[in-house]
Amino acid sequence: MARKVLFLLLLVLILAPAGVSVAQGPSGLPVDVPREELFVADQIYRFSSGIGNYNLWSNGDQPHRHALMMETLWLRDMETGELIMDVAISGPEYNDDFTQMNVNLREGIFWSDGVEFTADDLVYTIETIRANPDMPASGGWASQLNQYVDTVEKTGDYSVQFNLTESNPRFHTLFEARWNGIYMMPKHIFETVEDPVTFRFENPVVLGAYVPTQFDPNGYWELFERREDWERTPSGIITGNPGPKYILLIFYGDSAKKAIAMSRGELDVYFDVDYEAFQTTLDTTPTARSWYTEFPWAYPNEVDARNFDFNFESEPLFQNKDVRWALALSLNIVELQTEYIGGVAKVTMMPIPPTQLLSRLYHEPMQEWLNNLEIEIEPGEMFKPYDPTVPDQIAAWAEEQGYTVPGDPVDVFGYGWWKYAPDVAERLLLKNGFTRDGNGKWLKPDGTPWTIDLQSPPDENDAFRMGTAAADMWSDFGIQVNLQGLERSVWDQNRFVGQYQMSTPWFTFVLPSGDSWPQIRGWHPQYYVPNGEDFRSKGGGTAFRLNDPKIGEMIDAMAALSPDSEENVQAVIELSKYWVENMYSITAISFKKFVTWDQRYWTGFPTSENPNYMPLYWFQGGKFAFQNLTPVTQ
Amino acid sequence: MSLLREFILPRLLQWALVIFVGITITFLIPRLSPVNPISQALGRLTAFQNVAPEAMVELRETLEDLYGLNGSIFDQYVAFWKRVLRGDLGPSFSAFPRSVNEMIGAGLGWTIGLLGTAVISSWLLGLLLGSLAGYFSNRWWSQVLDKLLIFIYPVPYYIVAFVLLMAFTFYLPIFPLVGGAKGTPGLNWEYISSVLHHSFLPAFSIMVGALAFRFIMAKTLATSELASDYVQYAEMGGLPRRKIITNYVMRNTMLPQITDLGLSLGAIFEGALITEVVFAYPGVGSVLYNSIISADYNVIMGITLLSIVGIATASLLVDLSYPLFDPRVRLR
Amino acid sequence: MITVRDLLRFSPSFRYGAIILMVVVVLIILSYFSPFEPDDRRAVPRNEPPSFEYLLGTTSTGQDVFWMLTFAIRNTMIIAGVAVIIGRTIGVLLGMISGYVGGTLDRVLSSIVDSVIVIPRLPLVILIASILRGQITIITLAVLIGILDWAYPSKRYRAQIFSLREREFTQTAVFAGMNTFKIVVQEHLPFLIPFLLADMVSGFLFAIGFEVTLSILGLSDLNAQSIGTMIYWGNYYQALLSKQIWVLAAPIAASVLIVVGFYLMSIGLGTYLDPRTRLKRLEVRG
Repeated sequence: MARKVLFLLLLVLILAPAGVSVAQGPSGLPVDVPREELFVADQIYRFSSGIGNYNLWSNGDQPHRHALMMETLWLRDMETGELIMDVAISGPEYNDDFTQMNVNLREGIFWSDGVEFTADDLVYTIETIRANPDMPASGGWASQLNQYVDTVEKTGDYSVQFNLTESNPRFHTLFEARWNGIYMMPKHIFETVEDPVTFRFENPVVLGAYVPTQFDPNGYWELFERREDWERTPSGIITGNPGPKYILLIFYGDSAKKAIAMSRGELDVYFDVDYEAFQTTLDTTPTARSWYTEFPWAYPNEVDARNFDFNFESEPLFQNKDVRWALALSLNIVELQTEYIGGVAKVTMMPIPPTQLLSRLYHEPMQEWLNNLEIEIEPGEMFKPYDPTVPDQIAAWAEEQGYTVPGDPVDVFGYGWWKYAPDVAERLLLKNGFTRDGNGKWLKPDGTPWTIDLQSPPDENDAFRMGTAAADMWSDFGIQVNLQGLERSVWDQNRFVGQYQMSTPWFTFVLPSGDSWPQIRGWHPQYYVPNGEDFRSKGGGTAFRLNDPKIGEMIDAMAALSPDSEENVQAVIELSKYWVENMYSITAISFKKFVTWDQRYWTGFPTSENPNYMPLYWFQGGKFAFQNLTPVTQ
Repeated sequence: MSLLREFILPRLLQWALVIFVGITITFLIPRLSPVNPISQALGRLTAFQNVAPEAMVELRETLEDLYGLNGSIFDQYVAFWKRVLRGDLGPSFSAFPRSVNEMIGAGLGWTIGLLGTAVISSWLLGLLLGSLAGYFSNRWWSQVLDKLLIFIYPVPYYIVAFVLLMAFTFYLPIFPLVGGAKGTPGLNWEYISSVLHHSFLPAFSIMVGALAFRFIMAKTLATSELASDYVQYAEMGGLPRRKIITNYVMRNTMLPQITDLGLSLGAIFEGALITEVVFAYPGVGSVLYNSIISADYNVIMGITLLSIVGIATASLLVDLSYPLFDPRVRLR
Repeated sequence: MITVRDLLRFSPSFRYGAIILMVVVVLIILSYFSPFEPDDRRAVPRNEPPSFEYLLGTTSTGQDVFWMLTFAIRNTMIIAGVAVIIGRTIGVLLGMISGYVGGTLDRVLSSIVDSVIVIPRLPLVILIASILRGQITIITLAVLIGILDWAYPSKRYRAQIFSLREREFTQTAVFAGMNTFKIVVQEHLPFLIPFLLADMVSGFLFAIGFEVTLSILGLSDLNAQSIGTMIYWGNYYQALLSKQIWVLAAPIAASVLIVVGFYLMSIGLGTYLDPRTRLKRLEVRG
């Protein structure tokens, strides 16, 4: 008898939730606010630090959270490349030799507790960061502030003057947020705190338009509420729009989960998914769209590029320029971009993505040089490797698939790439002592079979598919390629200590502003560290162990130039030409993201027809994309 | 009293030894990993920033200090035990400055709840059904269950979980996609029902496999047992079926099955890693996975420590209770 | 003496199990005649559903699912086989020594076994996989899995043996003057063997399940075909979401069939070898 009762109890326990769920309906959102006032965004990853602790100076910022809450002096828009005034009201004003910088601040912006923002806050922020170099997230800032800032003082309620220890035309970039920057601290709060490093800012006072109100202790979601006085914040002023009353950031999981969530109406935007999940979204969610309404859908202008790099020390063969060129010429970029990537990214032959601004600064002016570029096959026999018809070939493929290309192929697919010339590649190899064996496989000059170890992290979709393409094509060409799909931290670690031959990293020469020096300063040979040690031990930046004095010279020359000057642009072009001639890396495509918005409840986001702000909302400068949203009127 | 001295005390000593050795091994192994937590942290902190080279060097030193990773391995080992005996599991590296205690605390309740219920109910149900099916091996329901569970049992857990997820959140969207519950914790029906709602799919996915396993095991053992003489005598003697099954067949098959239950419960602290990843359930398992990936030594140690203590204690309790369940066990 | 022919004739479960395993063996043999190399991408048109030309369809990377499956079954069987052999050998030896010898040796061995059991396995393997940094081969994986799965079983064998030792028939045999070895072989083994067979099946399941788990986390040799890696790649290219079910259904069905096959055979064998149930069965037939 007792057993029967037990049995029944178990049955009830098992079936109850099913009954409950039917009663509740499918809403899986963890918060209870009216859906038409709520905008649900992809949190991208699960928060592990900073849960309930909004001291972002100590804790480290999380994307989109910092955009919603924090402000710095300037923001850089990746789409247009322009400098947006955040808390500052004008650009940085330097004196003639760049040893002094003046900043004018906005009047009339307030912290969320009603206190006005003034120059005192900025000065206090600088002093506090300088004085606390062991704040984990601000350690980098502290170091640089301590190095460059002699004194900082307010010259008025809304103006500040920095006196620098040495000439630094790029000092303002510390406050110019691409991803993040030095955030303004509320002086009136922090000065009452005992230790800014360990202070848990649980009820944050923010300068941005949104205040965090609820959070998941396990880091899966966070709810923000718009301030009543949103017109007294920079993003409110700039967009002139209130934006959604509530914003929920939520982490659903991998691509599949995000697509499922959007199809259920529980996600209004996600930052990226893989190609197949995106196709599912197109099929299941007719109200969803990405940058382009049709092919190629994806947002193509994030400032970064995907490359194959060579570790010059792991494989001495890679130090031979001809070998690098041979590898580049035996890749069929059209096939890579169409069959493996789906045709949805731009191609680029150097580590500079062809965005609006950067095309104008670099790609356009270099086309003539590229068309005339020659490499030597045999003494006296030259070959022109550049192929400007690549975008047209891709467009032809697209049309075969039934897609319409939304504009000029160059605008949609990039400028051009290297020709697919395996015969030339073969000659280059033969010239250098390579031979083919009976099966057509390549043998190195010492007679051993040529194997390339190519490492790529599968969770970085495009990089891995690019790697797969290369593995297939180079195999066809006769090289044995060992494609290793490594877990992300292992892949990172291998790069840190140089334990790889070829890899698929993503990097770019330039910032969205067009300046290059901050990106490549670590490539100076003075920071070179051999394989086996962490390449950053001296602070340097090349995992591929580049040790070229010419690059060092170019970097030194750039350091002294003002980032907005014409000379700087020319210097970068010089660098690019040198890099490309030597084929130091094989850059294939630039970054793309399937940033997809669902118009069930909200509209007004950036699209190709309406590129008002950049859609990359997880960057500091992406805040406007949310602020600009308006409800879909029923 | 001699029982205490001859059996219990040595067993307790064994328990302590096992925990000590297990923890030492787990201390050493992550440090063998090539993934260096400081390199990872540096990578995270400087991913999009342009940090000056000098700053980079300073940052590395600061991190080493903060993480307590300076000094020889032996120094770190001693410092570790000192910390642990005080109850402090240290700061997490990947989520600095959040403490490991905090991270585990946030997830432990969910893991225990989910796994506890799943393990216990599937064990009970499986044992019951399996023994019954073994005894009544000729009945139609016994055969049907048998055939059905044979096909379910071998399906790899991930597939079961993933198919359930797809079926009931996508094709038939009746379950939520993420999290453990909705709204703020409280002792009201809304919150509790949301807990049930969120945990149903993950628990069910675990139970499917566990139930099948237990059923098959119980049935095999019962079938073996049934061939014994005493069962035939009992039947001939006219003892009621129910009594034969519970008092004789099941009791005699208990020993290995209790062992399994004990060890399964002890393993709860390990967390249901795959379950939590597939269903985005906020337990301890996904914390563990992320910490392994990023070589976050302290978190790995913290969770593994709990797990080791859990399993060792479960093992101890099971051993101590052998005589209770099987009086035939004499100890030499 | 029992011959395989008798088994096939009288035990339906053995028969079905044998049939299934024959199919598996045929598939494995077929893998040696595959027109495609296991890692040959773009060999066939992509994303084709099953048809006459492509029996089980094709994948997103342009590989024929049927031929991939033959390789996958071969490799998974190798991994599981090696793992089970390693694991169960150690487990049985330790369990029997512990169970029969008893005393201090038992306590020492038990402590060792317990120290190993308490270490959580999945995290350990994930850790080791990251230490090996992508140099895992099929055999390494097999050895790794085998080394993980002897502790639990040895405990169970030990428990069974304790139980058996105290049974009446054991006491009888001891009193009758049988030497230990004879007791073990003639009296206990008939009980142990069915248990062992059932346990080996669970060992196989564990090995296959673990291999699948590791592959799904991306921690095994992703270039080799195995049931786990087929599922991994199927998921990677979102087979379920894009309704290309055949890519995932094939490896899942294969894994289910393999274990069911083994299980059925082991039941058949087990009931036949156990002298007590043989009696019971003869009774029923009559």
